[in-house]
Amino acid sequence: MLMPSTGPRTRTVRVRRQLPTSPWLFAAPGLLVIGAFILYPFMSTLVNAFTDRRTLIPGEFVGLANFRELLHDDMFWTGLRNSALYVLGVVPALVILPLLLALLVQKNIPGITFFRSAFYTPVVASIVVVGLIWVWLLDERGLVNALLETIGVGRVGFLSDQWLLLMSAMAVTVWKGLGYYMIIYLAALANVPRELHEAAAVDGAGAVRRFFTVTVPAVRSTMALVGALSSVAAFKVFSEVYLMAGPSGGPAGEDTTLVILVQRTGTGLTGRVGYASAISVVVFVVTVALMLLVLRADRRSEV
Amino acid sequence: MPVSRRALVAAAVCLVLPLSACGSGGDDGGSTDASGKVEGDITFQTWNLRANFKPYFEGLIADFEKKYPGTQVKWVDQPAEGYADKISADAAGGTLPDVVNVSPDLVAPLAKAGLALDLDKAAGQYKKEYLEGAWASHRIPGMTGTYAFPWYLNTGPLFYNKSLFKKAGLDPDQPPRTYDELFADALRIARNSDGEVSTLANVPTVEDFGRYGVELMNPAGTAFAFNDTKGVQLLTKYKELYDAKALDPQALTATPESSGKKFLTEAVAMNPGSALDLGNFKKQAPSLYKNIGITDQITSTGHVNMYVMGVMVNAQSKRKPAAVAFAHYVTDAAHQMSFAKQVAIFPSTAGSLDDPYFTKEDGTDETRVRVAAAKSLKNAVNYTPVLFSEQMKTALRNEVAKALQGKESPKEALDNAVKACDTLLRQQG
Amino acid sequence: MTRVRTGELVLRYVLLLAVLALTVGPFLWQLSTSLKGPTEDIYSSPPAFLPQHPTLHNYARVSETIPVWDYAFNSLKVATANVVTNCVGAALAGYALARLRYRGRRVATLAFVLAMLVPVEGIVIAQFTTMRELGLNNTLLGVVLPGCIGAMNVLLMRNAFLNLPYEIEEAAYVDGANVWQRFLRIAVPSVKGTLAVVAIFAFMGAWDDFLWPLIVLSDPSKFTLTIGLNYLHGTFANDERLVAAGTVIAVAPLIALFACLQRYFFRGVGEGAVKG
Repeated sequence: MLMPSTGPRTRTVRVRRQLPTSPWLFAAPGLLVIGAFILYPFMSTLVNAFTDRRTLIPGEFVGLANFRELLHDDMFWTGLRNSALYVLGVVPALVILPLLLALLVQKNIPGITFFRSAFYTPVVASIVVVGLIWVWLLDERGLVNALLETIGVGRVGFLSDQWLLLMSAMAVTVWKGLGYYMIIYLAALANVPRELHEAAAVDGAGAVRRFFTVTVPAVRSTMALVGALSSVAAFKVFSEVYLMAGPSGGPAGEDTTLVILVQRTGTGLTGRVGYASAISVVVFVVTVALMLLVLRADRRSEV
Repeated sequence: MPVSRRALVAAAVCLVLPLSACGSGGDDGGSTDASGKVEGDITFQTWNLRANFKPYFEGLIADFEKKYPGTQVKWVDQPAEGYADKISADAAGGTLPDVVNVSPDLVAPLAKAGLALDLDKAAGQYKKEYLEGAWASHRIPGMTGTYAFPWYLNTGPLFYNKSLFKKAGLDPDQPPRTYDELFADALRIARNSDGEVSTLANVPTVEDFGRYGVELMNPAGTAFAFNDTKGVQLLTKYKELYDAKALDPQALTATPESSGKKFLTEAVAMNPGSALDLGNFKKQAPSLYKNIGITDQITSTGHVNMYVMGVMVNAQSKRKPAAVAFAHYVTDAAHQMSFAKQVAIFPSTAGSLDDPYFTKEDGTDETRVRVAAAKSLKNAVNYTPVLFSEQMKTALRNEVAKALQGKESPKEALDNAVKACDTLLRQQG
Repeated sequence: MTRVRTGELVLRYVLLLAVLALTVGPFLWQLSTSLKGPTEDIYSSPPAFLPQHPTLHNYARVSETIPVWDYAFNSLKVATANVVTNCVGAALAGYALARLRYRGRRVATLAFVLAMLVPVEGIVIAQFTTMRELGLNNTLLGVVLPGCIGAMNVLLMRNAFLNLPYEIEEAAYVDGANVWQRFLRIAVPSVKGTLAVVAIFAFMGAWDDFLWPLIVLSDPSKFTLTIGLNYLHGTFANDERLVAAGTVIAVAPLIALFACLQRYFFRGVGEGAVKG
């Protein structure tokens, strides 16, 4: 979907009767906004990455010094590790679980529209609110621990252990993303010809086998799309971890992600804008690479 | 592609360079001359005070405008979170308000960038109205001058939970008075409750090191020094507490709010606080309030810690006379006194703490806390170095956490923290 | 697949209810916390799911503390403007990317894709500087502008248009309709669903944003609801009931909006987000 290429169908008809200026008129507002408020500021980030600029002090050109410093910055590697772990932890869950959920709500049984909408609520709620809700739920004295204690498991320090914190944040990301990707799968499933399932059923294939032989191949390109979108988002994760682990990134900063590091080093009155920009550039390059990787796999699967 | 790549890149560079070169340039900071007629429109920015003190500030501004006809003060208040981000964006963009509520660590970078007015030069005549230590709290090592009027001070006692003390077999009327007693009591409480009850909820911060008697910086203020024997000693002690669960296991991720909540829910036996918290306990945890004990802040230096708020004047303000007059008006003795009566803070003006309001007890806990705090403020110290930035706080916090987790020895951790902070200090320029 | 066995049906409902508890439960817990009075223990174990003496007291306290209705109105203005500009701008740009042929189209598409990948946390100050050069800091317009045509929304619209069968427009073309007429009369009505998606995303995005409005706005009378919520959190961090009431106020309008638009919405995501 997000590939800058066009499908072959659009080329079949050539529409010549359009006002010569109209394509640009159509695209102009969008390009102007994107250009002025996203790409132009990002260009200055690119330039800043090669300077030692600070919030209140204009910097000087320092060549690759910021990038060299990154190589020796433990926090950078911690951030890279956590952002990468986030992709590994979140993406498989967000590719598979919403598909199962979509299968569950696909069949039109009474009340199903209610369930579909209800499953979408976490997507609609703002991340700050979601953060507040889950911090309260996972608090040492919150609902989850009260329940765990009631059934005799005892309290768990979801918000104090380095790994549990990261996993809790991942769980929140998955929780918030389930409904979003469910809808995407739901639409894809609608395009799967029913006959395929019926034929497989006649052949005696059980539900599990039908899932792997019919459903999965039919929604493969959608799975790739979900993989691309969720991996880009996961690598850029900020809010969930920031809200749950705090601005310093959990115990000893061990839950710092790259974007949290960008925020921490680059903002405030003493922010190192140049260095933070260099980290931003790394984040950007990795997300572009992730996107290309997944979409490439997708294109191959389409052939 | 119709447009050549090189042309695109060239265009981009042309567009971007002016932006990256803009910054704020500290040299055109305008004169420090604030004499002249007090008139014109100025903007006054406070930090999270609107929710509770709206009528107070509206009255204050109305009085000022009446006193100086021809002036108009616009009051803006910013929420607690994101305050530094807000000020940085305004400072970088040249839209800083004329009069700004700041803390010393916010003043330092603004002063270095030439955005804070030197009040020794512009308003030196007011210096004698303030406590000497308070006036000095907005001086910056390596610079001459004072860059903000001192505003309110805060300090507070140590609250403790008497019933938790009693349960651990300690005398609830004998709270710890020295660090040694504190550590011994904490270990005992943890032992007797099988690690269920901790005594402290926060890892040591830079001010804790200061209060313990550690030299934080070298005398010239050019490098940090808290990795000395004393510093290592304090951190080693905290590690012992952490291992015994006398320091809350969640302390590594705690915030002041979360540790306050822990004390409120009786999961932690002690918590620093202020008279403000007392009302909060009364309302939210009546059962705790009955058992609350109040004792003095523990310090090895004889000086308790205080927090200082300041009011800074924008050096690029177009209405400097009015801005200086207003900043002084907000922080003068009469107004600080009336603000102190609204909320549990303390004035930084000379002589104000001798007011009967701060010296006469009337038997209530609130007054007792207030009188004790006012007394201790007379020789209190703001331990947090002015140059200690947010990034340095994080660096120290993370290294302390590593030591507590046993990943580094206390000595290694503090050495690393000092090294990181020194690097950050140099990079501040 | 018309017959559904009873056993399977029961299993389906059990699973549906389990997922329902997981997705909606946290919101209900928040609602329940916000309705609990000051005397009620909110930390009890086993937890009390229902407030014993439900009270709206916490909501009253929220509106005493911050001018919650003024802030909500500002949020509404910003969010509505964001919906309009995004629907119009993204539809226009999406159509240009999907249907119109011109030199530089690939570059234009690439610009939107790259814009979507930029980590916004790193560019806030640069955005603010730009805004100030335009003289739009401290205006609600300044709050709206950077996100007023989101790259993601443009790409969603592009896909929706790409998925429309070309034949419909071809017929209009033969009838002599020009590009604007084809766009307005044929293409846009066919992608109403995706427009609903864009509308919800745009509303959510504007309603939920905190850092950008905080940076751009200085004047408290222009603050939005998320900034107000932050006052609550900063002032009463220890009072879970009050913070809960604040979050409910922040979430409720979104849920209401979504409930109204959900019919179009479910159709829309199908049109736009999936490869045809």
